[in-house]
Amino acid sequence: MFDFIFQLFGRFHPLLVHLPIGILLFGIILVFLSKSDKTAYFDSIRLAFLLGGISALASSASGFLQYQNEGFAWDSVQFHFYFGLVTTVTSFWLFFELKNKQVLPFNFKLKSSGLTVLLLITGHLGGNITHGEEYLTEVLPEGIQNLLGVEEPDKGLSISPQNWEQLRYYEGVVQPILNSNCKSCHNPRNSKGDLDLSSYESLLAGGENGPAIHSSDFEKSELYARLNLPLDHEDHMPPQEKRQPKKEEVELIRLWIVNGASTTQTLGEAKVEQKLLEPFFIKEEKAFYPEITLKEVSPDTLQNLKAIGFYSEPVFQGSPFLKVTCINFKTFSDEDLKSLNGVKDNLAYLDLSGTQISDEVLNDLSLFPNLTVLKLNETKISGENLAKLKANTYLKHLYLNGTQVSAIQLEVLNELKSLEKVYAFNTPITEAQDRKKFKFSLEIGGYTLPPIPSDTIVY
Amino acid sequence: MKNLDKLLGELASQKLQAQTRRHFLVDCVSKLGGLAMAPLLFGCDLGKNGQVKSGLNLSERDLNPLASIPPPFLAKAKSIIYLHMAGAPSQLELFDYKPELAKLNDQDCPESLLEGRKFAFIRGVPKMLGPQANFKQHGESGAWVSDYLPHFSQMVDEVAFLKAMHTDQFNHGPAQLFMQTGSPRLGRPSLGSWVTYGLGTENQNLPGFVVLTSGGKTPDAGKSVWGSGFLPSVYQGVQCRSKGDPVLYLEDPKGMTRDLKKNVISAINQANQEDFENFGDPEILARINQFEMAYRMQIEVPEVMNINDEPAYIHELYGTKPGEESFANNCLLARKLVEKGVRVVQLYDWGWDTHGTDRDGSIDLGLRNKCREIDRPITALLMDLKQRGLLEETLVVWGGEFGRTPMQENREGKVQGFKGRDHHVDAFTMWVAGGGVKKGASYGITDDFGFSGIDERTSVHDLHATILHLMGFDHEKFTYEFQGRPFRLTDVEGELIRKILA
Ligand code: HEC
Repeated sequence: MFDFIFQLFGRFHPLLVHLPIGILLFGIILVFLSKSDKTAYFDSIRLAFLLGGISALASSASGFLQYQNEGFAWDSVQFHFYFGLVTTVTSFWLFFELKNKQVLPFNFKLKSSGLTVLLLITGHLGGNITHGEEYLTEVLPEGIQNLLGVEEPDKGLSISPQNWEQLRYYEGVVQPILNSNCKSCHNPRNSKGDLDLSSYESLLAGGENGPAIHSSDFEKSELYARLNLPLDHEDHMPPQEKRQPKKEEVELIRLWIVNGASTTQTLGEAKVEQKLLEPFFIKEEKAFYPEITLKEVSPDTLQNLKAIGFYSEPVFQGSPFLKVTCINFKTFSDEDLKSLNGVKDNLAYLDLSGTQISDEVLNDLSLFPNLTVLKLNETKISGENLAKLKANTYLKHLYLNGTQVSAIQLEVLNELKSLEKVYAFNTPITEAQDRKKFKFSLEIGGYTLPPIPSDTIVY
Repeated sequence: MKNLDKLLGELASQKLQAQTRRHFLVDCVSKLGGLAMAPLLFGCDLGKNGQVKSGLNLSERDLNPLASIPPPFLAKAKSIIYLHMAGAPSQLELFDYKPELAKLNDQDCPESLLEGRKFAFIRGVPKMLGPQANFKQHGESGAWVSDYLPHFSQMVDEVAFLKAMHTDQFNHGPAQLFMQTGSPRLGRPSLGSWVTYGLGTENQNLPGFVVLTSGGKTPDAGKSVWGSGFLPSVYQGVQCRSKGDPVLYLEDPKGMTRDLKKNVISAINQANQEDFENFGDPEILARINQFEMAYRMQIEVPEVMNINDEPAYIHELYGTKPGEESFANNCLLARKLVEKGVRVVQLYDWGWDTHGTDRDGSIDLGLRNKCREIDRPITALLMDLKQRGLLEETLVVWGGEFGRTPMQENREGKVQGFKGRDHHVDAFTMWVAGGGVKKGASYGITDDFGFSGIDERTSVHDLHATILHLMGFDHEKFTYEFQGRPFRLTDVEGELIRKILA
């Protein structure tokens, strides 16, 4: 019954952890301000270690409860927890060393330094859990990151489809291929076979068996030859069980060697065929939803919408844009639209199909400036109010299947520049010739498959 | 009420019997403040912690395992309709036009094709068998389709063909499992289960993953092709029928009113809930949810599974006859289900195994009959999805579990009574259409005999990676922790087929 106490206490962990850090560091600073034989701070130091120990114990306990109640995976918290415990025990140990004494015992500064290290490690591990492992390293300059062996998230080879001819072959293609396929085992810190493939110089220097490149002779160049070995050959690179480069990537390496393995040559000069590069072209997609910055919808708001009966989810994880449908809320009527006011900027996809709405609802849809997809299928919409949608300047897809809209009524939407597609299957609109009048593509369906002889021939 | 007390009493005594030394230890440890000990003693997580690692926020899911979750990335499609032709249709009579093969008709198969190969039934040196169909190019894309599929040939500009698919299993069961679960062995979750697990479902009154079968038999690999493997069992496919009761045992028994049913279910669920709180076994939650969903489905499923109310022109389009078990009916149902927010609809049509051992299993006769049964329905399905704007958001996949040999089958070294082809793993055709797929695309090229892919070969894992991509997942990141390691649908392989993306 009082189980919630545990969870509540657990949630104080982020607050409590700062106490031992502050108190113990204060104690340790006093230790270092003292002479080994005599100190004016003796009582304060002792008190600091006692309070530090107690608060460290409280931190560990609350931390453990937080792990139990808040859904952390043990793997991700275990070392933080162990170090927390060791810090706690060490604090108490140092406190007992000082008990019944008047001077700092032998080697006390060394022991205090040890405690400092423990504190730092515990705190760092804790920080990693809340902020992510890359929190500190990602702001470092790249050179330092390399030195620390931080692996940047690998994006693989990607090339802009425009002006690729001007791209430097080595810099723009070869090194990225090596980075994404080989660097994890061939870098300055970890150079398997004594080979470092993280820069041109180190690549030329080669490995155990000499240079990785034999000028222009790709068959003799280990860099290529090993990629080209059968997958099950023991010298094949990357080792069989690892992710393999694409065949285009292997071919690009070969061509680079054939062309003299230069650092200055461009893709155009090397006469690389576009076909080889296509798999790596960056798709320049126009964003489907409006390109504006917005805050995400809070989980509580989402939960409330679901409780009302809506299906409501962000269009993808972390997106501020919301998709709301009435799939299990067929009693939805015009007034219910109000319940969406709290997310009016976020609402990007709204499906009111099959609900009890009337033309009135269109008056209020202008409230939702970022509406991109709107479905009003199988409703009493008569088309009268469609002009109101002109206010929804991001609207791209409009579904009016099974409504009473007419071609004339749709014409007003020509002014809505964003509109790309309108579905009006099963409406009074039947004439395909009407389509030319529209600036958007209009799907009116009504497909048939006339019977043909083969429908009935049985062999 | 008396009954409820009785049930709860029974549960309490059952629970006491289930109390073991371990439970005692757990209680001591977690309740008497043995803070450090618990995780040390019980490395394999208790209760809900076991699931946390799977990376989903389970708080909402604990209560409703089918609750929707947004996809990790912007998805191109929100539902899948997968049309599996069980038995494996011949690519050489439908889509992969090989005029060179015609020239070799009835000649001995070149040694080079047989070296180091194993076939399911072919022994010794078989004869080559030329295409038994007439091919023409269709649409703006100029895709080759044979006269076996006259209606479908109108739709080629809507689909993307994968003409150099390959697999590594030459028997139906394992190959179907591989195609549907990413592994030829039992125990892995099916594609539909993965997707329902990852996204939940939109309509809370219908199952998230529905399976419909036709052709008189279920696939050789059995129900595991829509099984949930190591995923919680709520994510397995729910088999519905187009003839008779849509879902078996969904109707109330005679004399049982809906209110009474509701009371029974809430009593059972209450008991189960307490059980869950004690043991933390997610399967108990699955059970609770299934009871509740079954109750809600009682109303909505008969409604959506009833095709009688569809207008006549729709019946004409699909060629449907209410009350039958047919592929056509299943296609219409697939559209209705997707329209109602079902995440995955999986159709299995049995009877495509054309060895030439009898008339029904012959390449030139039986196969034509099978094609007639699907030609109008698949075309109608694509058209119907298109006119409703559903094709925009639905991914349609068509294919078998492998392809068929360019050689004529010579089972037991004998010439068969009819023309037939053996199972073939090296090259076959599939197509995909709809949400996020490039219209009118063709990917993959096979050699002159249609024996092997020579360029743009596509593995089963590649196909899975692409389907997951279109549903908003990175197939390399979409994992489930099981037996100490993360599992993926695509195992350690799979590359996105970018060239068929819109
Ligand atoms: C999983 C780790 C791993 C990856 C990834 C990897 N290698 Fe290696 N590589 C090794 C090991 C281990 C050796 C030493 C053993 C040997 O010679 O086979 C080696 C040796 C080599 C050598 C021979 C060096 C010498 O002089 O003996 C070359 C060349 C090479 N790798 C190239 C590559 C290339 C190119 C890639 C990327 C496409 C790559 N490797 C990716 C582990 C790796």
